[in-house]
Amino acid sequence: MKSRHQFLLILALLAFTAINLTPVFWAFLTSLKQPVDAFAIPPKLVFSPTLMFHYEVWTERGFWSFLVNSLVVSVATVVISVPLGAMAGYALARSRSRHRQPVLFGLLAVRMFPQILLAIPFFIMANALGLIDTYFALIVSFVAINQPFTIWLMRSFFVDVPLELDQAARIDGCNEWQVFFKVVLPVVKPGLVVAAIFSFLLGFNEFLFALILSGSGTKTLPVAIAEYGGEDVAYWSISAAAAIGIMLPPLLLTLFAQKHLVRGMTVGAVKG
Amino acid sequence: MSIRKSERAYLLFLLPSALVVAVVLLFPLGYAVYLSFFRYFMGGENPAFIGLDNYTSLLSDSRTLWALLNTLVIVVASVALQFVVGFAVAYGLFRLARGGGVAATLNFIPHIVTPVVGALFMKWMFAGRWGLIDGLLTSVGITPPNWLGDPAWATATIILADTWRFAPFMTLVLYAGLQAMDQSILEAAAVDGAGGWALISRVIVPALKPIILFVLAIRTMDAVRYFDIIYVLTGGGPGTATETLTTYTYVLGFRALEVGKASALGVLTLALILLMMTGLVSWIYRRERGDF
Repeated sequence: MKSRHQFLLILALLAFTAINLTPVFWAFLTSLKQPVDAFAIPPKLVFSPTLMFHYEVWTERGFWSFLVNSLVVSVATVVISVPLGAMAGYALARSRSRHRQPVLFGLLAVRMFPQILLAIPFFIMANALGLIDTYFALIVSFVAINQPFTIWLMRSFFVDVPLELDQAARIDGCNEWQVFFKVVLPVVKPGLVVAAIFSFLLGFNEFLFALILSGSGTKTLPVAIAEYGGEDVAYWSISAAAAIGIMLPPLLLTLFAQKHLVRGMTVGAVKG
Repeated sequence: MSIRKSERAYLLFLLPSALVVAVVLLFPLGYAVYLSFFRYFMGGENPAFIGLDNYTSLLSDSRTLWALLNTLVIVVASVALQFVVGFAVAYGLFRLARGGGVAATLNFIPHIVTPVVGALFMKWMFAGRWGLIDGLLTSVGITPPNWLGDPAWATATIILADTWRFAPFMTLVLYAGLQAMDQSILEAAAVDGAGGWALISRVIVPALKPIILFVLAIRTMDAVRYFDIIYVLTGGGPGTATETLTTYTYVLGFRALEVGKASALGVLTLALILLMMTGLVSWIYRRERGDF
Protein backbone atom coordinates (compact mmCIF):
# COMPACT_ATOMS: atom_id res chain seq x y z
CA MET A 1 0.00 0.00 0.00
CA LYS A 2 2.64 2.42 1.11
CA SER A 3 4.91 1.60 -1.84
CA ARG A 4 1.99 1.95 -4.27
CA HIS A 5 1.40 5.44 -2.91
CA GLN A 6 5.06 6.26 -3.39
CA PHE A 7 4.96 4.93 -6.94
CA LEU A 8 1.96 7.09 -7.87
CA LEU A 9 3.53 10.10 -6.19
CA ILE A 10 6.77 9.66 -8.10
CA LEU A 11 4.82 9.30 -11.34
CA ALA A 12 2.81 12.47 -10.66
CA LEU A 13 5.91 14.47 -9.73
CA LEU A 14 7.80 13.23 -12.79
CA ALA A 15 4.93 14.24 -15.05
CA PHE A 16 4.72 17.65 -13.40
CA THR A 17 8.48 18.20 -13.64
CA ALA A 18 8.44 17.23 -17.32
CA ILE A 19 5.67 19.72 -18.12
CA ASN A 20 7.26 22.37 -15.93
CA LEU A 21 10.59 22.15 -17.77
CA THR A 22 9.17 21.78 -21.28
CA PRO A 23 9.39 25.52 -22.09
CA VAL A 24 13.10 25.56 -21.19
CA PHE A 25 13.81 22.33 -23.04
CA TRP A 26 11.85 23.50 -26.07
CA ALA A 27 13.79 26.77 -26.26
CA PHE A 28 17.01 24.78 -26.02
CA LEU A 29 15.95 22.56 -28.93
CA THR A 30 14.87 25.58 -30.97
CA SER A 31 18.29 27.15 -30.45
CA LEU A 32 19.84 24.10 -32.17
CA LYS A 33 17.44 24.04 -35.11
CA GLN A 34 17.66 25.27 -38.65
CA PRO A 35 14.54 27.27 -39.58
CA VAL A 36 13.18 24.36 -41.61
CA ASP A 37 13.18 22.22 -38.43
CA ALA A 38 12.07 25.02 -36.11
CA PHE A 39 8.83 25.57 -38.03
CA ALA A 40 7.97 21.96 -38.77
CA ILE A 41 4.47 20.74 -37.92
CA PRO A 42 4.20 18.44 -36.07
CA PRO A 43 7.04 19.78 -33.92
CA LYS A 44 10.27 17.88 -34.41
CA LEU A 45 12.17 16.17 -31.64
CA VAL A 46 14.68 14.54 -33.96
CA PHE A 47 16.74 16.75 -36.27
CA SER A 48 20.35 17.43 -37.04
CA PRO A 49 21.44 20.00 -34.47
CA THR A 50 23.58 23.03 -35.21
CA LEU A 51 25.46 25.35 -32.89
CA MET A 52 25.71 28.07 -35.52
CA PHE A 53 23.03 30.26 -33.91
CA HIS A 54 24.77 30.12 -30.55
CA TYR A 55 27.93 31.24 -32.26
CA GLU A 56 26.24 33.85 -34.40
CA VAL A 57 24.29 35.57 -31.64
CA TRP A 58 27.27 36.13 -29.33
CA THR A 59 29.74 37.15 -32.02
CA GLU A 60 27.99 38.69 -34.99
CA ARG A 61 24.84 40.02 -33.28
CA GLY A 62 26.70 41.93 -30.61
CA PHE A 63 25.43 39.98 -27.61
CA TRP A 64 29.00 39.73 -26.42
CA SER A 65 29.05 43.44 -25.70
CA PHE A 66 25.61 43.26 -24.02
CA LEU A 67 27.04 40.54 -21.80
CA VAL A 68 29.92 42.83 -20.88
CA ASN A 69 27.42 45.59 -20.07
CA SER A 70 25.36 43.24 -17.92
CA LEU A 71 28.43 42.03 -16.05
CA VAL A 72 29.79 45.53 -15.42
CA VAL A 73 26.47 46.70 -14.05
CA SER A 74 25.76 43.59 -11.96
CA VAL A 75 29.23 43.38 -10.43
CA ALA A 76 29.22 47.08 -9.59
CA THR A 77 25.80 46.66 -7.99
CA VAL A 78 27.19 43.90 -5.78
CA VAL A 79 30.37 45.79 -4.89
CA ILE A 80 28.48 48.90 -3.79
CA SER A 81 25.22 47.48 -2.52
CA VAL A 82 26.46 44.69 -0.27
CA PRO A 83 28.86 46.77 1.88
CA LEU A 84 26.30 49.56 2.28
CA GLY A 85 23.55 47.07 3.08
CA ALA A 86 25.73 45.14 5.51
CA MET A 87 26.62 48.29 7.46
CA ALA A 88 23.01 49.42 7.63
CA GLY A 89 21.81 45.91 8.45
CA TYR A 90 24.29 45.72 11.30
CA ALA A 91 23.19 49.07 12.67
CA LEU A 92 19.53 48.06 12.53
CA ALA A 93 20.25 44.69 14.16
CA ARG A 94 22.19 46.24 17.07
CA SER A 95 20.57 49.59 17.67
CA ARG A 96 18.09 49.86 20.54
CA SER A 97 16.77 53.18 19.30
CA ARG A 98 13.00 53.55 19.18
CA HIS A 99 13.33 54.73 15.56
CA ARG A 100 14.58 51.33 14.52
CA GLN A 101 11.17 49.73 13.92
CA PRO A 102 9.75 52.58 11.80
CA VAL A 103 12.92 52.57 9.68
CA LEU A 104 12.65 48.82 9.09
CA PHE A 105 9.00 49.02 8.08
CA GLY A 106 9.71 52.07 5.98
CA LEU A 107 12.29 50.05 4.06
CA LEU A 108 9.74 47.29 3.58
CA ALA A 109 7.29 49.83 2.18
CA VAL A 110 9.98 51.13 -0.17
CA ARG A 111 10.55 47.62 -1.43
CA MET A 112 6.86 47.48 -2.36
CA PHE A 113 7.02 50.65 -4.49
CA PRO A 114 5.66 50.17 -7.97
CA GLN A 115 8.91 50.60 -9.85
CA ILE A 116 7.15 52.15 -12.79
CA LEU A 117 6.41 55.13 -10.52
CA LEU A 118 10.15 55.61 -9.96
CA ALA A 119 10.94 55.00 -13.62
CA ILE A 120 9.35 58.28 -14.68
CA PRO A 121 11.35 60.64 -12.42
CA PHE A 122 14.47 58.52 -12.99
CA PHE A 123 14.18 59.05 -16.71
CA ILE A 124 13.51 62.79 -16.41
CA MET A 125 16.36 63.30 -13.93
CA ALA A 126 18.85 61.16 -15.84
CA ASN A 127 17.89 62.98 -19.01
CA ALA A 128 18.38 66.39 -17.41
CA LEU A 129 21.76 65.35 -15.99
CA GLY A 130 22.89 63.78 -19.27
CA LEU A 131 23.13 60.35 -17.64
CA ILE A 132 21.03 58.35 -20.10
CA ASP A 133 23.06 55.51 -21.60
CA THR A 134 25.70 55.58 -18.85
CA TYR A 135 26.71 52.74 -16.55
CA PHE A 136 26.44 55.23 -13.70
CA ALA A 137 22.68 55.70 -14.05
CA LEU A 138 22.06 51.96 -14.23
CA ILE A 139 24.32 51.14 -11.29
CA VAL A 140 22.95 53.87 -9.03
CA SER A 141 19.36 52.87 -9.68
CA PHE A 142 20.08 49.16 -9.19
CA VAL A 143 21.94 49.80 -5.94
CA ALA A 144 19.07 51.92 -4.66
CA ILE A 145 16.27 49.50 -5.46
CA ASN A 146 18.42 46.71 -4.02
CA GLN A 147 19.11 48.42 -0.68
CA PRO A 148 15.93 47.52 1.24
CA PHE A 149 16.37 43.85 0.35
CA THR A 150 20.06 43.72 1.24
CA ILE A 151 19.52 45.55 4.53
CA TRP A 152 16.71 43.22 5.63
CA LEU A 153 18.63 40.12 4.60
CA MET A 154 21.87 41.16 6.29
CA ARG A 155 20.01 42.25 9.39
CA SER A 156 18.50 38.76 9.70
CA PHE A 157 22.02 37.32 9.75
CA PHE A 158 23.38 39.89 12.24
CA VAL A 159 20.48 39.27 14.61
CA ASP A 160 21.69 35.66 14.92
CA VAL A 161 25.14 36.76 16.11
CA PRO A 162 25.21 36.82 19.93
CA LEU A 163 25.62 40.26 21.47
CA GLU A 164 28.26 38.86 23.80
CA LEU A 165 30.65 38.75 20.85
CA ASP A 166 30.42 42.52 20.41
CA GLN A 167 30.82 43.11 24.13
CA ALA A 168 33.85 40.86 24.43
CA ALA A 169 35.47 42.67 21.49
CA ARG A 170 34.76 46.05 23.13
CA ILE A 171 36.32 44.89 26.37
CA ASP A 172 39.38 43.87 24.33
CA GLY A 173 39.60 47.50 23.23
CA CYS A 174 38.02 47.40 19.78
CA ASN A 175 36.27 50.54 18.61
CA GLU A 176 32.84 50.29 16.98
CA TRP A 177 34.25 49.98 13.48
CA GLN A 178 36.64 47.21 14.53
CA VAL A 179 33.84 45.37 16.33
CA PHE A 180 31.86 45.39 13.10
CA PHE A 181 34.61 44.81 10.58
CA LYS A 182 36.97 42.47 12.39
CA VAL A 183 34.70 40.55 14.73
CA VAL A 184 31.07 40.41 13.60
CA LEU A 185 31.41 40.61 9.81
CA PRO A 186 33.53 37.44 9.49
CA VAL A 187 30.82 35.53 11.36
CA VAL A 188 28.15 36.46 8.80
CA LYS A 189 30.20 35.54 5.74
CA PRO A 190 27.46 33.17 4.48
CA GLY A 191 25.06 36.11 4.66
CA LEU A 192 27.41 38.24 2.58
CA VAL A 193 27.60 35.50 -0.04
CA VAL A 194 23.80 35.21 -0.23
CA ALA A 195 23.43 38.99 -0.40
CA ALA A 196 26.07 39.17 -3.12
CA ILE A 197 24.41 36.47 -5.21
CA PHE A 198 20.96 38.00 -4.95
CA SER A 199 22.30 41.48 -5.69
CA PHE A 200 24.07 40.12 -8.75
CA LEU A 201 20.87 38.44 -9.90
CA LEU A 202 18.95 41.69 -9.48
CA GLY A 203 21.47 43.55 -11.60
CA PHE A 204 21.60 40.80 -14.18
CA ASN A 205 17.83 40.31 -14.46
CA GLU A 206 16.50 43.84 -14.02
CA PHE A 207 14.47 44.95 -17.01
CA LEU A 208 12.35 48.07 -16.50
CA PHE A 209 15.06 50.52 -15.44
CA ALA A 210 17.52 49.06 -17.91
CA LEU A 211 14.93 49.50 -20.65
CA ILE A 212 14.50 53.16 -19.80
CA LEU A 213 18.01 54.22 -18.80
CA SER A 214 20.26 52.23 -21.12
CA GLY A 215 21.15 53.07 -24.69
CA SER A 216 23.19 51.62 -27.51
CA GLY A 217 26.38 51.76 -25.42
CA THR A 218 25.06 50.26 -22.19
CA LYS A 219 22.25 47.94 -23.27
CA THR A 220 22.03 44.95 -20.93
CA LEU A 221 21.10 41.41 -21.94
CA PRO A 222 17.42 41.47 -20.86
CA VAL A 223 16.78 44.63 -22.90
CA ALA A 224 18.62 43.22 -25.90
CA ILE A 225 16.78 39.91 -25.85
CA ALA A 226 13.42 41.63 -25.39
CA GLU A 227 14.13 43.63 -28.55
CA TYR A 228 14.86 40.47 -30.49
CA GLY A 229 11.65 39.21 -28.99
CA GLY A 230 9.63 36.55 -30.67
CA GLU A 231 7.80 38.87 -33.05
CA ASP A 232 9.65 37.94 -36.17
CA VAL A 233 9.65 34.17 -36.46
CA ALA A 234 12.76 34.34 -38.65
CA TYR A 235 14.77 35.23 -35.52
CA TRP A 236 13.49 32.40 -33.34
CA SER A 237 16.57 30.23 -33.42
CA ILE A 238 18.83 33.24 -32.84
CA SER A 239 16.84 34.59 -29.92
CA ALA A 240 16.42 31.10 -28.45
CA ALA A 241 20.21 30.73 -28.54
CA ALA A 242 20.60 34.07 -26.76
CA ALA A 243 17.89 33.18 -24.24
CA ILE A 244 19.57 29.89 -23.33
CA GLY A 245 22.92 31.66 -22.91
CA ILE A 246 21.43 34.40 -20.73
CA MET A 247 19.80 31.77 -18.56
CA LEU A 248 23.08 30.09 -17.62
CA PRO A 249 24.74 32.54 -15.17
CA PRO A 250 21.65 32.84 -12.91
CA LEU A 251 21.18 29.07 -13.09
CA LEU A 252 24.75 28.32 -11.99
CA LEU A 253 24.74 30.98 -9.28
CA THR A 254 21.48 29.75 -7.82
CA LEU A 255 22.67 26.16 -7.73
CA PHE A 256 25.75 27.43 -5.94
CA ALA A 257 23.61 29.28 -3.40
CA GLN A 258 21.11 26.45 -3.03
CA LYS A 259 21.60 26.02 0.69
CA HIS A 260 20.60 29.61 1.37
CA LEU A 261 17.99 29.97 -1.34
CA VAL A 262 14.95 30.05 0.91
CA ARG A 263 16.50 32.59 3.21
CA GLY A 264 17.41 34.85 0.30
CA MET A 265 14.03 34.46 -1.39
CA THR A 266 12.16 35.42 1.76
CA VAL A 267 14.51 38.24 2.79
CA GLY A 268 15.50 36.31 5.86
CA ALA A 269 11.93 35.80 7.05
CA VAL A 270 12.09 32.01 6.61
CA LYS A 271 15.29 30.39 7.73
CA GLY A 272 15.37 27.33 5.53
CA MET B 1 31.74 52.28 26.18
CA SER B 2 28.37 53.82 26.81
CA ILE B 3 25.27 52.72 24.98
CA ARG B 4 24.85 56.24 23.65
CA LYS B 5 28.27 56.10 22.06
CA SER B 6 27.37 52.87 20.30
CA GLU B 7 24.08 54.33 19.10
CA ARG B 8 25.94 57.25 17.56
CA ALA B 9 28.23 54.80 15.77
CA TYR B 10 25.21 52.88 14.46
CA LEU B 11 23.84 56.08 13.02
CA LEU B 12 27.08 56.49 11.07
CA PHE B 13 26.83 52.91 9.83
CA LEU B 14 23.35 53.66 8.57
CA LEU B 15 24.29 56.92 6.90
CA PRO B 16 25.68 55.81 3.49
CA SER B 17 22.73 53.54 2.80
CA ALA B 18 20.28 56.14 4.07
CA LEU B 19 21.79 58.72 1.71
CA VAL B 20 21.38 56.42 -1.28
CA VAL B 21 17.79 55.60 -0.36
CA ALA B 22 16.97 59.25 0.26
CA VAL B 23 18.56 60.61 -2.91
CA VAL B 24 17.76 57.83 -5.36
CA LEU B 25 14.43 56.53 -4.03
CA LEU B 26 12.68 59.04 -1.81
CA PHE B 27 13.56 62.19 -3.72
CA PRO B 28 12.40 60.77 -7.08
CA LEU B 29 9.25 59.53 -5.38
CA GLY B 30 8.58 63.04 -4.10
CA TYR B 31 9.33 64.42 -7.54
CA ALA B 32 6.85 61.98 -9.11
CA VAL B 33 4.16 63.06 -6.66
CA TYR B 34 4.97 66.70 -7.50
CA LEU B 35 4.78 65.98 -11.25
CA SER B 36 1.41 64.34 -10.83
CA PHE B 37 -0.11 67.80 -10.24
CA PHE B 38 1.17 69.14 -13.56
CA ARG B 39 0.31 68.86 -17.19
CA TYR B 40 3.71 67.98 -18.55
CA PHE B 41 4.74 66.37 -21.80
CA MET B 42 8.28 65.06 -21.83
CA GLY B 43 10.35 67.23 -24.13
CA GLY B 44 7.45 69.66 -24.51
CA GLU B 45 6.87 73.06 -22.96
CA ASN B 46 7.26 73.77 -19.27
CA PRO B 47 4.98 71.96 -16.83
CA ALA B 48 1.69 73.69 -16.07
CA PHE B 49 0.13 73.27 -12.64
CA ILE B 50 -3.34 71.76 -12.93
CA GLY B 51 -4.03 70.64 -9.37
CA LEU B 52 -5.88 67.34 -9.20
CA ASP B 53 -6.93 67.29 -12.86
CA ASN B 54 -4.69 64.33 -13.73
CA TYR B 55 -6.31 62.33 -10.96
CA THR B 56 -9.89 63.25 -11.80
CA SER B 57 -9.38 62.59 -15.48
CA LEU B 58 -7.76 59.22 -14.74
CA LEU B 59 -10.47 58.16 -12.31
CA SER B 60 -13.24 59.07 -14.74
CA ASP B 61 -11.47 57.32 -17.62
CA SER B 62 -12.80 53.84 -18.36
CA ARG B 63 -9.33 52.77 -19.53
CA THR B 64 -7.99 53.25 -15.97
CA LEU B 65 -10.84 51.26 -14.46
CA TRP B 66 -10.29 48.54 -17.05
CA ALA B 67 -6.58 48.43 -16.17
CA LEU B 68 -7.49 48.25 -12.48
CA LEU B 69 -9.93 45.41 -13.14
CA ASN B 70 -7.34 43.55 -15.24
CA THR B 71 -4.75 44.01 -12.51
CA LEU B 72 -7.07 42.61 -9.86
CA VAL B 73 -8.15 39.66 -12.02
CA ILE B 74 -4.57 38.76 -12.93
CA VAL B 75 -3.27 39.23 -9.37
CA VAL B 76 -6.03 37.25 -7.63
CA ALA B 77 -6.14 34.44 -10.21
CA SER B 78 -2.40 33.98 -10.57
CA VAL B 79 -1.59 34.21 -6.86
CA ALA B 80 -4.39 31.74 -6.03
CA LEU B 81 -3.35 29.35 -8.79
CA GLN B 82 0.34 29.46 -7.95
CA PHE B 83 -0.40 28.93 -4.27
CA VAL B 84 -2.49 25.82 -4.98
CA VAL B 85 0.05 24.41 -7.42
CA GLY B 86 2.98 25.43 -5.23
CA PHE B 87 1.46 23.87 -2.13
CA ALA B 88 0.50 20.65 -3.90
CA VAL B 89 4.00 20.21 -5.29
CA ALA B 90 5.63 21.09 -1.96
CA TYR B 91 3.46 18.54 -0.17
CA GLY B 92 4.23 15.93 -2.82
CA LEU B 93 7.96 16.54 -2.45
CA PHE B 94 7.63 16.38 1.32
CA ARG B 95 5.87 13.01 1.10
CA LEU B 96 8.48 11.63 -1.28
CA ALA B 97 10.57 8.96 0.48
CA ARG B 98 13.77 10.15 -1.20
CA GLY B 99 14.91 12.45 -3.97
CA GLY B 100 12.80 15.38 -2.76
CA GLY B 101 15.75 17.75 -2.80
CA VAL B 102 16.71 17.03 -6.41
CA ALA B 103 13.12 17.26 -7.60
CA ALA B 104 12.71 20.55 -5.73
CA THR B 105 15.78 22.00 -7.44
CA LEU B 106 14.65 20.90 -10.90
CA ASN B 107 11.22 22.40 -10.41
CA PHE B 108 12.75 25.63 -9.19
CA ILE B 109 14.39 26.34 -12.54
CA PRO B 110 11.47 28.34 -14.02
CA HIS B 111 11.88 30.82 -11.18
CA ILE B 112 15.63 31.27 -11.72
CA VAL B 113 15.41 32.15 -15.38
CA THR B 114 15.79 35.88 -16.09
CA PRO B 115 12.17 37.19 -16.17
CA VAL B 116 12.33 38.49 -19.73
CA VAL B 117 13.83 35.22 -20.91
CA GLY B 118 11.18 33.22 -19.04
CA ALA B 119 8.48 35.32 -20.69
CA LEU B 120 10.02 34.54 -24.09
CA PHE B 121 10.03 30.82 -23.26
CA MET B 122 6.32 31.17 -22.60
CA LYS B 123 5.83 33.09 -25.80
CA TRP B 124 7.43 30.30 -27.79
CA MET B 125 4.99 27.88 -26.20
CA PHE B 126 1.88 29.92 -26.88
CA ALA B 127 2.77 31.79 -30.08
CA GLY B 128 0.16 31.37 -32.79
CA ARG B 129 0.79 28.64 -35.33
CA TRP B 130 4.51 28.07 -34.70
CA GLY B 131 4.39 27.78 -30.92
CA LEU B 132 4.85 24.31 -29.43
CA ILE B 133 1.29 24.06 -28.13
CA ASP B 134 -0.27 25.08 -31.43
CA GLY B 135 2.08 22.77 -33.28
CA LEU B 136 1.01 19.83 -31.12
CA LEU B 137 -2.69 20.66 -31.26
CA THR B 138 -2.87 21.22 -35.02
CA SER B 139 -0.96 18.03 -35.73
CA VAL B 140 -3.66 16.05 -33.94
CA GLY B 141 -6.37 17.99 -35.74
CA ILE B 142 -7.49 20.39 -33.02
CA THR B 143 -7.84 24.05 -33.95
CA PRO B 144 -6.19 25.95 -31.09
CA PRO B 145 -7.54 29.22 -29.76
CA ASN B 146 -5.63 32.40 -30.45
CA TRP B 147 -3.74 32.33 -27.13
CA LEU B 148 -2.19 35.78 -27.27
CA GLY B 149 -4.58 37.43 -29.71
CA ASP B 150 -7.95 36.74 -28.09
CA PRO B 151 -8.68 39.00 -25.08
CA ALA B 152 -9.88 36.29 -22.68
CA TRP B 153 -7.24 33.75 -23.71
CA ALA B 154 -4.49 36.36 -23.53
CA THR B 155 -5.44 37.07 -19.91
CA ALA B 156 -5.48 33.35 -19.17
CA THR B 157 -2.09 32.91 -20.84
CA ILE B 158 -0.60 35.68 -18.73
CA ILE B 159 -1.98 34.07 -15.59
CA LEU B 160 -0.45 30.75 -16.65
CA ALA B 161 2.91 32.35 -17.48
CA ASP B 162 2.96 34.13 -14.12
CA THR B 163 2.11 30.85 -12.40
CA TRP B 164 4.87 29.04 -14.25
CA ARG B 165 7.35 31.56 -12.92
CA PHE B 166 6.13 31.94 -9.35
CA ALA B 167 4.62 28.59 -8.31
CA PRO B 168 8.23 27.33 -7.86
CA PHE B 169 8.86 30.17 -5.40
CA MET B 170 5.81 29.07 -3.38
CA THR B 171 6.93 25.44 -3.60
CA LEU B 172 10.43 26.19 -2.36
CA VAL B 173 9.32 28.24 0.63
CA LEU B 174 6.45 25.94 1.62
CA TYR B 175 8.66 22.86 1.21
CA ALA B 176 11.16 24.45 3.58
CA GLY B 177 8.30 25.19 5.95
CA LEU B 178 7.07 21.59 5.85
CA GLN B 179 10.54 20.30 6.56
CA ALA B 180 10.97 22.68 9.47
CA MET B 181 7.64 21.61 10.97
CA ASP B 182 7.61 19.66 14.19
CA GLN B 183 7.30 16.19 12.66
CA SER B 184 5.87 14.71 15.86
CA ILE B 185 2.62 16.64 15.24
CA LEU B 186 2.25 14.83 11.94
CA GLU B 187 2.94 11.46 13.53
CA ALA B 188 0.47 12.12 16.34
CA ALA B 189 -2.18 13.14 13.80
CA ALA B 190 -1.51 10.00 11.78
CA VAL B 191 -1.93 7.88 14.90
CA ASP B 192 -5.25 9.63 15.55
CA GLY B 193 -6.31 8.48 12.11
CA ALA B 194 -6.14 11.85 10.38
CA GLY B 195 -5.12 11.28 6.77
CA GLY B 196 -5.16 13.07 3.46
CA TRP B 197 -7.35 16.13 3.37
CA ALA B 198 -8.04 16.29 7.12
CA LEU B 199 -4.32 16.18 7.84
CA ILE B 200 -3.66 19.03 5.44
CA SER B 201 -6.51 21.31 6.45
CA ARG B 202 -6.55 20.65 10.21
CA VAL B 203 -2.88 20.15 10.99
CA ILE B 204 -0.52 21.32 8.29
CA VAL B 205 -2.15 24.56 7.15
CA PRO B 206 -2.59 25.88 10.72
CA ALA B 207 1.01 24.98 11.55
CA LEU B 208 2.34 26.72 8.43
CA LYS B 209 0.06 29.73 8.73
CA PRO B 210 2.78 32.37 9.23
CA ILE B 211 4.70 31.14 6.19
CA ILE B 212 1.56 30.83 4.08
CA LEU B 213 0.50 34.38 4.94
CA PHE B 214 4.01 35.57 4.18
CA VAL B 215 4.18 34.08 0.69
CA LEU B 216 0.64 35.19 -0.14
CA ALA B 217 1.35 38.73 1.04
CA ILE B 218 4.67 39.13 -0.75
CA ARG B 219 3.39 37.62 -3.99
CA THR B 220 0.27 39.78 -3.98
CA MET B 221 2.29 42.97 -3.52
CA ASP B 222 4.77 41.99 -6.21
CA ALA B 223 2.10 40.85 -8.64
CA VAL B 224 0.35 44.24 -8.53
CA ARG B 225 3.44 45.99 -9.85
CA TYR B 226 4.67 43.25 -12.16
CA PHE B 227 5.75 44.35 -15.60
CA ASP B 228 8.23 42.10 -17.43
CA ILE B 229 6.00 39.14 -18.33
CA ILE B 230 3.08 41.20 -19.63
CA TYR B 231 5.37 43.58 -21.52
CA VAL B 232 7.02 40.70 -23.39
CA LEU B 233 3.99 38.44 -23.83
CA THR B 234 1.25 40.80 -24.94
CA GLY B 235 2.48 44.35 -24.36
CA GLY B 236 -0.98 44.93 -22.84
CA GLY B 237 -2.74 43.80 -25.99
CA PRO B 238 -4.63 42.84 -27.99
CA GLY B 239 -5.73 46.48 -27.90
CA THR B 240 -5.91 47.14 -24.18
CA ALA B 241 -7.28 43.69 -23.31
CA THR B 242 -4.48 42.73 -20.90
CA GLU B 243 -3.42 46.21 -19.90
CA THR B 244 -2.67 46.51 -16.17
CA LEU B 245 -2.04 49.59 -14.05
CA THR B 246 1.70 49.13 -14.58
CA THR B 247 1.67 48.70 -18.36
CA TYR B 248 -0.83 51.57 -18.71
CA THR B 249 1.52 53.78 -16.70
CA TYR B 250 4.36 52.74 -18.99
CA VAL B 251 2.31 53.60 -22.10
CA LEU B 252 1.27 56.97 -20.63
CA GLY B 253 4.79 57.88 -19.57
CA PHE B 254 7.02 56.47 -22.27
CA ARG B 255 4.81 56.22 -25.35
CA ALA B 256 2.40 59.13 -24.94
CA LEU B 257 5.07 61.03 -22.96
CA GLU B 258 2.36 62.44 -20.64
CA VAL B 259 4.62 62.19 -17.60
CA GLY B 260 2.34 64.21 -15.32
CA LYS B 261 -0.59 61.90 -15.89
CA ALA B 262 1.61 58.81 -15.77
CA SER B 263 2.97 59.93 -12.39
CA ALA B 264 -0.57 60.35 -11.11
CA LEU B 265 -1.40 56.79 -12.16
CA GLY B 266 1.80 55.58 -10.46
CA VAL B 267 0.77 57.37 -7.27
CA LEU B 268 -2.67 55.75 -7.44
CA THR B 269 -1.01 52.33 -7.83
CA LEU B 270 1.21 53.03 -4.84
CA ALA B 271 -1.87 54.04 -2.84
CA LEU B 272 -3.55 50.77 -3.81
CA ILE B 273 -0.51 48.76 -2.72
CA LEU B 274 -0.21 50.61 0.59
CA LEU B 275 -3.94 50.13 1.20
CA MET B 276 -3.62 46.40 0.57
CA MET B 277 -0.54 46.23 2.77
CA THR B 278 -2.15 47.99 5.73
CA GLY B 279 -5.32 45.97 5.26
CA LEU B 280 -3.35 42.75 5.23
CA VAL B 281 -1.15 43.63 8.18
CA SER B 282 -4.04 44.74 10.38
CA TRP B 283 -6.07 41.68 9.33
CA ILE B 284 -3.20 39.40 10.28
CA TYR B 285 -2.69 41.25 13.57
CA ARG B 286 -6.35 41.04 14.50
CA ARG B 287 -6.55 37.33 13.77
CA GLU B 288 -3.20 36.40 15.22
CA ARG B 289 -2.86 38.72 18.18
CA GLY B 290 0.14 37.61 20.12
CA ASP B 291 1.03 35.02 17.54
CA PHE B 292 2.79 37.36 15.20
